[in-house]
Amino acid sequence: MHKDNRIKLLFLLPAVLWVLCFTIFPLIYSVRLSFFNVKIGSPDEFIGLRNYVHLFQDQRARSSALITLIFVCCGVAIQMTLGMALALLFNRPLRLRGILRTVMTMPLFATPIAVGFLFFTIFYEEGGLINGLLHLNVPWLSNPYWALASITIVDIWQWTPFCFLIFLAVLQGIPAHYYEAATLETNKGWSVFRFITLPILQPTIILVLLLRITEAFKVFDIPFTLTTGGPGTATQVLTMYAYRVGMRFFNYGYSSAISVFLFILVMVVIMTLFKKIRQTYQ
Amino acid sequence: MYTETKVTLVVIVIVLVALAVFLTRGCRPGEGTRNGSGKAGYQHLKWHDDGGVDLITFEDAEVIHLSKDELGTMFGRGKKPFTGKRIAVTVNNSGPKGGISGPLYRLRPAWEELTGAKLDIVEVPLAEQLNKTITDLRLGVGQFDGFMEGAWYMGEYITPGFIRPIDDYIPDKRFPQWDPNWLPPSLRNIHTWEGKWYGTLNDSDGQVLYWRNDILTDPEWRSKYKAETGKDMPFPTKTWQDVIEIARYFNGKNWDDNDPDTDTGIVMHFKVNEQGMFHFMSLSAPFVAMGGDKVDRGTNNYWFDPETMEPLIAQPGHVRALEVLYRLSRYGPRAQAAWDLGTAWDWFLRGKSIFVFSWGDVGALVQDTSRSKIRGKLGASVLPGSYEVYDMNNKRWVKLPQPNVVGNTTGGSWHGVISSRSENPEVVYSFYALMATKPVSLWNVNRGWTGVDPGASIHFLPPQGTADLRGFVDAGWNESDLRFYLKAYHDNFFADTMLPYLRINGAEEYWRALDQNLSETMIGRLSPKEALTRTAKEWDEITNRRGRAAQLKQYQRSIGYGR
Repeated sequence: MHKDNRIKLLFLLPAVLWVLCFTIFPLIYSVRLSFFNVKIGSPDEFIGLRNYVHLFQDQRARSSALITLIFVCCGVAIQMTLGMALALLFNRPLRLRGILRTVMTMPLFATPIAVGFLFFTIFYEEGGLINGLLHLNVPWLSNPYWALASITIVDIWQWTPFCFLIFLAVLQGIPAHYYEAATLETNKGWSVFRFITLPILQPTIILVLLLRITEAFKVFDIPFTLTTGGPGTATQVLTMYAYRVGMRFFNYGYSSAISVFLFILVMVVIMTLFKKIRQTYQ
Repeated sequence: MYTETKVTLVVIVIVLVALAVFLTRGCRPGEGTRNGSGKAGYQHLKWHDDGGVDLITFEDAEVIHLSKDELGTMFGRGKKPFTGKRIAVTVNNSGPKGGISGPLYRLRPAWEELTGAKLDIVEVPLAEQLNKTITDLRLGVGQFDGFMEGAWYMGEYITPGFIRPIDDYIPDKRFPQWDPNWLPPSLRNIHTWEGKWYGTLNDSDGQVLYWRNDILTDPEWRSKYKAETGKDMPFPTKTWQDVIEIARYFNGKNWDDNDPDTDTGIVMHFKVNEQGMFHFMSLSAPFVAMGGDKVDRGTNNYWFDPETMEPLIAQPGHVRALEVLYRLSRYGPRAQAAWDLGTAWDWFLRGKSIFVFSWGDVGALVQDTSRSKIRGKLGASVLPGSYEVYDMNNKRWVKLPQPNVVGNTTGGSWHGVISSRSENPEVVYSFYALMATKPVSLWNVNRGWTGVDPGASIHFLPPQGTADLRGFVDAGWNESDLRFYLKAYHDNFFADTMLPYLRINGAEEYWRALDQNLSETMIGRLSPKEALTRTAKEWDEITNRRGRAAQLKQYQRSIGYGR
């Protein structure tokens, strides 16, 4: 092999090792664990598909999967819609646009754990910020439906700016003469959006959707700090259930099966979206 | 070009090695927690001519005097028997001024001066404590020498032999002196396993009933109660039904003039995956637990059938108790379904609730006027009973002439145990024993913020114990509050019948299943019967997965069945 190639490989090696050690190995190890009954300090016992069979019989796992799906669908849909609306608004000449844009993006930089605790005080029912200021009596955290709505609202608050930023960047890259030409045909804003803006944005929308769905499926910190999965199991998402089963009850095999299931679920969604992107570009 | 690349590679390697060394050094347990390690500009020991010593606490610079006899022969002026040794002890992550961990920080500098050893306090979140320590022990890493454990960890530690008995150390005059006989049998039980001592005296947890004594003894409120209900106020409360009656009457009225808002009858904490299940355990005890000299399915038993490991949690006694708890919860704030312990306590301290049943911390926090508006207005007693108890042997309800009052050791009773992997067990024990001496233990109990609650005879006032009223009053206690408080705890821990404690492998998992179903009941998704039936089913699954035979054997050992 040529010396230069060897040097290139040498430089690549740390990155490859990193991916092998911290991405590929844990993934393979997790899949392996899911077929075993694991007790730390004792030999692992191979149990075949029993963890997966249990997963589909486990009422708590089913309930967590449903909660996760509701959270992802509602949260991501609202984030995308709001992000788009804000991007369209900020794409126009606006006073204090720069300042407002900066303020808008601030939630992105907040640590989710801190956000969870912050919203705990905001949603506090007896004189918290919202109920206290607006003289409301909303059971934000003590009612199962409101609790799920609360964690979704926090996620929307934190991640709408992400959608907004990316949409805005693309919108600002659309040449002005497209719109100038369009105004010769129509003066309806909706038609311009429908036939000019949206098609240009479509690949970006799918990309943002893909990123947000992937992240939303993995949500953990916000429900963990805000509701600890309750009341009851109303906000116990799959990641939290896997954490509890593995890290608190030492059932690592079953916990791995839940994680693998979640991984497959996310992969299916991603593959579908990738297929859509490919079709769009073709 | 090639030489430049080599130089770059060498630099990268050096940086990586330096980073690795830095990270490895930074990973020493407790290295980041040396902020309570003394050297605050003063010495932490002051020796007396008679061989006694004043321990001077970290930051507060408060003085705790130990006589020569209490100190043990190993220690003395100029003696530092453990010089060069270093130990690491895990504890809940409450910080240098928080419950349970705080006293370790306060005493560490004095102990280090006394012994010459170093103590690393390793704070671990409650939710991760068992996992972290068990993983360390099972993998044989042994980075911790001791653990300030909750009593329900005992089964996880004992069976594999992860912790070491201390029977040989306790009578050893070389160590600081404390007496296990100070503890009542109820608390001795959770510090020992099959007669062997593993834990030292520290915290004593149990739940008692607290109430607003100023309101419930106010003649005006009593006459209003009679006028509205046609009955005398059932106070002092004897049964949970009495508590419900009073809570129902006061709920929704503005009986406290601290604010213009309405107040509640009771407050509890049902935030899921926290400590709500402890409310159920304590309240259900009189409907389930029957005392006596033996241990069998229906006597001195609560959790499982000691012959089959069948869960008993859905038995009629337990179900009725959950119905009572649910009814009682209707007279508290709606938000309590999502409240943790601290939030519920705060509600009571702000004068918003007539009743709360909880741990000893409440009595102590009431004295802190920066948080509490009810100092001097507190009443307390052992938890109420029930005139009917379900006999699980004969499967029938038994009516009693007097309420079945059952004490409890609900909670962690956080105390030190020594890892069997520790190379310095004597060093660890010397620290625990110092914390257990009468002067240090009393210092902790006098100051409520320490999270160390009373339970031993040295903590109670005469005639029940030997403590001095002045110690409490000097620490800021209101005398009336204190007398209620100490009597309640004495009656609780010395009760004839006690709620058996669950100390087997997976105790936490069993409790979490109960907790989630309890929470589902509190938000109206499951009826009490459904919740407990589902709990029993989940307990069976847990038992099967962990191995029924092993679980059964351990359960029998933990409750003393067949002995």
